[in-house]
Amino acid sequence: MIETIAVAFRLNGADTAMQVPPEMRLVDMLRERLGLTAAKKACGIGRCGACAVLIDGRPVNACLLMAWQIDGADILTPEGLDALPEAAIIRSALAEENAFQCGYCAPGFTIALTALLREHLEADEPAIRAALEGNICRCTGYHSIIRGALAAVRAMADRSAPQPTHG
Amino acid sequence: MQVLRPASIADALAMLAGGDARLVAGGTALQLEWAKGLPKPRSLVDIGQIGGLKGIVPAGNGLRIGALTTLGAVERDATVREELPLLAAALRATAGPAVRNLATVGGNVAGRTGCLLPALLALDARVESSSVVGRRTLPLSEWLRQEPGGEIIEAITVPVPDAHVRWTHRKIGLRAAFTPSVIGAAGMIEIVDGRVAAARLAVGGGMVTPARLGGAEALLVGQPFPGVDWNALRAAIEGEIVAPDDAFRSARYRRKVAANALVHGLGGDKTDAQPSRPSAPAARPATPPAGEIRLTRSTAGERWHIRPDGPAKIEGKLRYLTDHRQPGMLVGRILRAAIPHARIHSIDTSAAEALPGVAAVVTYRDIAGSNAFGIVVQDQPALCFDKVRYVGDAVAAVAAVDAETAERALGLIQVRYGPLPVVSDPEQALSPDAEPVHAAGNLQTSLGFERGDIAEGFARAAHVVEAVYETPRQMHGFMETEGGHAFVDTDGTLNVCAGGQYGLRDRLQLSRVLGLPEEKIRVVTSPTGGAFGGKDELTVQPALALLALRTGRPVRLQLDRAESVLAGAKRNAMKIRMRTACDADGLLLAQQVDVISDAGAYASLGPAVLETALEHACGPYVVRNVRTSGRLAYTNNGVCGAFRGFGANQMAYAVECQMDRLAAECGLDVLEIRRRNMRKPGTRGYLGQVVALSERLEEMLEAAAADPIWQKPRGPSDDGSEIVGTGMAMNYQGNGLGSLPPDPAGGALRLAADGAIEALYGLDEMGQGLLTSIRSAVAAALGCGRDDVRPVTGDTGRAPESGSTTASRGTFVVWKVAAETAPALAERILARAAQRLGREPATLAIAPGGIVERHSNSGELLLSFAALAEGLDPEELPFAATSFEFPKSDYFEGNARMIFAFGVALARVAVSRITGQVRVLDLSQHTAAGPILDLAAYLGQIEGGGLQGVGFTLTEHAAMQDGRYLTANLDSYMMPSIADAPESVAIYALEDLDAGDPFGPRGAGELGIGAVTPAIANAVADATGVWPHAAPFDAERLLDALGAAA
Repeated sequence: MIETIAVAFRLNGADTAMQVPPEMRLVDMLRERLGLTAAKKACGIGRCGACAVLIDGRPVNACLLMAWQIDGADILTPEGLDALPEAAIIRSALAEENAFQCGYCAPGFTIALTALLREHLEADEPAIRAALEGNICRCTGYHSIIRGALAAVRAMADRSAPQPTHG
Repeated sequence: MQVLRPASIADALAMLAGGDARLVAGGTALQLEWAKGLPKPRSLVDIGQIGGLKGIVPAGNGLRIGALTTLGAVERDATVREELPLLAAALRATAGPAVRNLATVGGNVAGRTGCLLPALLALDARVESSSVVGRRTLPLSEWLRQEPGGEIIEAITVPVPDAHVRWTHRKIGLRAAFTPSVIGAAGMIEIVDGRVAAARLAVGGGMVTPARLGGAEALLVGQPFPGVDWNALRAAIEGEIVAPDDAFRSARYRRKVAANALVHGLGGDKTDAQPSRPSAPAARPATPPAGEIRLTRSTAGERWHIRPDGPAKIEGKLRYLTDHRQPGMLVGRILRAAIPHARIHSIDTSAAEALPGVAAVVTYRDIAGSNAFGIVVQDQPALCFDKVRYVGDAVAAVAAVDAETAERALGLIQVRYGPLPVVSDPEQALSPDAEPVHAAGNLQTSLGFERGDIAEGFARAAHVVEAVYETPRQMHGFMETEGGHAFVDTDGTLNVCAGGQYGLRDRLQLSRVLGLPEEKIRVVTSPTGGAFGGKDELTVQPALALLALRTGRPVRLQLDRAESVLAGAKRNAMKIRMRTACDADGLLLAQQVDVISDAGAYASLGPAVLETALEHACGPYVVRNVRTSGRLAYTNNGVCGAFRGFGANQMAYAVECQMDRLAAECGLDVLEIRRRNMRKPGTRGYLGQVVALSERLEEMLEAAAADPIWQKPRGPSDDGSEIVGTGMAMNYQGNGLGSLPPDPAGGALRLAADGAIEALYGLDEMGQGLLTSIRSAVAAALGCGRDDVRPVTGDTGRAPESGSTTASRGTFVVWKVAAETAPALAERILARAAQRLGREPATLAIAPGGIVERHSNSGELLLSFAALAEGLDPEELPFAATSFEFPKSDYFEGNARMIFAFGVALARVAVSRITGQVRVLDLSQHTAAGPILDLAAYLGQIEGGGLQGVGFTLTEHAAMQDGRYLTANLDSYMMPSIADAPESVAIYALEDLDAGDPFGPRGAGELGIGAVTPAIANAVADATGVWPHAAPFDAERLLDALGAAA
C-alpha cells in the first residue's frame, strides 16, 4: 500500500482536502482524480504551458508540481477563470480575434495572459511576447494570439476608463 | 517514495545523510530527471517549509537572495532590476515564465547546470551553505570547484557593482526563448581612468561547466578602454573555454559563440567585416495584382466570423476525445519495443495479467484479423509478432483501473528479443549487404520520370548549379498527442473515438485488423487537437479497439509526449540532389533530380510523399529536358508519413534555391529569371496532364515585385551584430490525392428535428476551421444564416463519406457539397413550407432563421426552420446528399494533380554574426487559392503554416542515431516559440477565378508552408552569399561562412 499525503488547498474558490500519493502531479490530480480537464497535459515536463494554472495569482506548470507541494495554495484552473471578470474580457477578445485553432493550448495561454493583464493593464507587444514565452502553440504562428492579447488590453482599458455620465 | 518535511536545515541535513534522498525546493527538475531515466529516490526532502530561506534583503554592498526565492520573485524585484541588470537579463533568459514561478535561485545554482551561473560568476556572487560540519560562505567560483553534495544552499549574495561597469549577457540556445542552453556567457568590466580596472568573464549553462575565464580576464585588466585588442581577447576566450560536443552543437561552436558574444557585448564590434552581396533585386516599379487583399480582421468587415468552437476551446470547456472520463473507465497503455531492430523470441504477459487492477493484456495473439495496417501498403503490425523494426513499435497493450497500475503492468511484460543489425541510413539501407528491415528488401518504392534529353540540355548550358538539399525529420508536434477512448455498445458496435483525419478509412483499417465487419465499427475522429498529417495513419486505434473488445469496458488511452515522439510518424527525411542548367539568358535547359527518402520502419504514406515530391520537381517552371528519380528506403528509424506539404515543400526548397543561384550566375534579377521560365496558363502540367483553369503565377510574381518588404533595410544592422537579407520563393501546390488513388468526396444537408440546418460531412475539425468553413459555405449556398447551420463531422456513425481531411482537399469538398445539395434542400424545404403556409413554393425563399416571402424587403419570417421542422415526421424532414470524386486529371502513368494553388513567400531575415543563427524579421505570403470560404480560417492556415515552415527551416529536426531518437520531448525538440515568430507577418489573397472555372475554392492548408524554407534560404544567401543546403540551417556553418566573407 502506497503511503499517501494529506493536502489542503483552495481550488477554484473552494476549500479542498485530499490524500495524494507522493508521485502524483497536480495536472494528473486535476485531470484524472477531479475530472478537471481544461488544463491539458501536452509535454509533461514543463516545456509547453498547456497545463498552466494560477497559484496565488501566478502561472505555474501543473505538470511540474507534485500534488503534495500545493498544500496551502490557492489554485485557479482554467475552469476557475469563469469567476474572474478580467478573464471574461480576455477570453472574449481572444475568441473575437480567432486567436486559436485546434485550441489545445488555449486554456494555458489564457491563464498566462490573465496573470499578465491583471498585473500590467497596459502590457504592450514585447511584454505580451515575454509573458507567453513558456506557452507553445503549433497551429497559429502566434500572431493571432498576440492580436487577441492586444485586443484584450484595449478592452480592459475601455472597461476601466471613466464612463461618461449622463445627467 | 516518501516525502520528508524537515523543519530546520539541521533536520534536512540529517535526512539527506540517511541516504537515497533528494532535496526538493521548487521541484522543477524532477520530471526532467525522471524522464531521462534517473532513478527516483526513496525520499524527497522538501525544504520548502523551512523558514528564513526566502526573500531578498540588502546585505553589505549587495543583495542577499534567499535560496528558496523563486526566479520569478527575483525577476520582479525592483532593486534587482535597477541594481543588478545583468542578473535580471539572465533571469529573463532562464526557462519560461511559469517555470520561473516555481524554480528557485538555490536550485538553479545547486544543480550546477543552471542558466544563472555565468551571470552570478560575472557578478562575483557568494554562496552561503550549511553542511553537517557547519556553515560557510564561499565565492561562487570556488564553491563550484568543491565536490558536490552534503550541503544545503541557504542564500546567494550578490554585490552591486558600481556605476562604471560595462556588462553583457547572452544565452545561446537552440531557439530564441525557453531553450536549453548551448552556452551562456556573461561579462563585466570596470573601467577606471580609461583603463580596465577589473574584469570578470564567465561561461556555463547546460552541459558547459560553469567557470570564470581567468586567462582572458588577465588579458583585459590594465588595457586602455577603448583600445582593447579585441581579436586577441576573442582568441583567448575561445582557447580557454572548456565545452563539450553533443548531438546538437559542437564544442567548437560553443567556444566561438561565447567568445563572440563577450567581445561584442563588451564593446568589441566586428564591424570591419563587409558581407558579400549577391544580386540585389532592383527597385522595381510594380503594382500588386488587381483584386489582391491583405487579410486582416480590421479590413475584413462582415467577412470576419468568430469560429463556433472558439469560445469553448478558450474556456477549456470543449471536450477533446482524450478528455473523456467516466466511472469504471479503464486506462490503456502500449508497450513499445524500445529497441530499433530485433527478433521477438517470446512474449510473456502472465505476471502483468496477475497484477491486481489489470483488466486485460493484449498481444498479437489477440488479433483476429490481419495483423497489418498501412494506408498504401499494409506492412505495419498492429502488435508485433515476429520482429520489431523501430523503437516505437507496439508489442502489447494493457488496460487497468488507473494509469499507475497500467504502467506497472507494462513493466511486468517479459519480451525476449534477439537484436538484429540496425539499419539507420537510407542510402546504406539500399546496399546489397544491408540487413533487410522487411523480408522483401529495403527498397520500398522506386520512381522515375524522364522527358527530353538532359545530356543535350546540360551540353548547351551556359550555367549549371548543383547541390544536395537535406530536409529534416520534422515532428508534427500537435499539442494533443495521439489518443482517445473506445467502448462497445449494447448492440455490440465497437466505438473507437480517437483523433484522426479520415474516419471511414480508419474504420476500414480497423476492420481488417480486428476481423470485424465495418458496419460493426463506429469511428469518431473530431474534434482533434491538431494533426498536420500526423494522424492520417492509424495511431492508437488498434490497441484501443482490442482492449475495449477484450474487456467489454470503456477504455481511454493517450500517448504521453515522450511516447508520441518515440512512436508517432514524422516527416520523411529527404536528400534531394538537384542539378539545373540554363542558357546565358537564364532559360532553363535541363534538370536532373535524385531523391532518397527515409521511410523509417513502415511505408505509411511515404510512397505518396515521394511521388508528390517528384511531381513538384520543376516547381512552376518549364524545363524541357528533365530526369527525376526517387527511392524510398526502409530503415529502423522512426516511422514517417504524411505531413503538411507532403513532399512539395521539400522539393520547393531545392527548386527555388536553384532558381536564385542561377539568377546570380546569370546576373539576373530573382524575379526576372522566374518570369522567363514560368509555366504559361492553359498549357499542360509538368507530367503532361490537364490542369485546372485560374492559374495565378504571374499575378503572384507581380505581388512579389510590389511587396513592401523590398523597401526595408538590408545589410549590416545598426549595432553590427547581424546582417539582414531578403529573399523570395514561388509556391505551387497540388490539391487532392491525385489521379491514381481513389479520392471519394460527398456530404449532405438536412433540416433537423430541432430546426437546425445540419451539414453532414465526414471531414475532421483539427483546428483548421472546418466548422466555420461549413457554416460559411452552407449559409452562402442555401441563403440561411450561419447560426442556422450545425455541422456534423468526424463520425462514421453520423456523417457520410467525404474522403480524407488531408491534401488541401477539405475546402473544396465543403464548398462543392454545399453548392450541389443546397438547391435541392432549398426546394424541399420550400415545398414543405408552402404546404404549411398554403402558398406557392415559388413565392417563398430561404433567409436567415427560416422562410420569407420571395422579393420581400421586410425580411419578416413567415415560418422559422424550427416551426417547420416541428410539424414534420422524421421521414418528412428535407434532406439532400451528393457524392463525387475529387477532380482528377487525365494522366495515369503516375500520380498527377489537376488543381493547384499558387503563392509566393517573401522573407526578410537577420543572420547573427555572433551566433550564426537566423531570425525571421518579416514574412510576407501572397496566395491565390480561389474564393475564400472563411477569411479568418484561411488567414490562420497561412500564418500557422508559415511558422511551421520557419520551424522546419531553422530549429526542427528529430535527429536519430543508430535507430534511436536524440530528442525525447519538447525540451530538446524545438518547435518555434512566440519569440521565434517573425516581428511582422503579412498575408494576402487573390480570390478571383477564370470565367468558366468550375472548381471554386482551393485548399489553403498546405499553402502556408510551401515556400517558406526557400524564401528564408534565399534571404540568408542575400545576407551572406551562402545558400544553406540542409534544413534546419546549421548555425555553425553560417557563422563560418560569415567569418570567411569577412
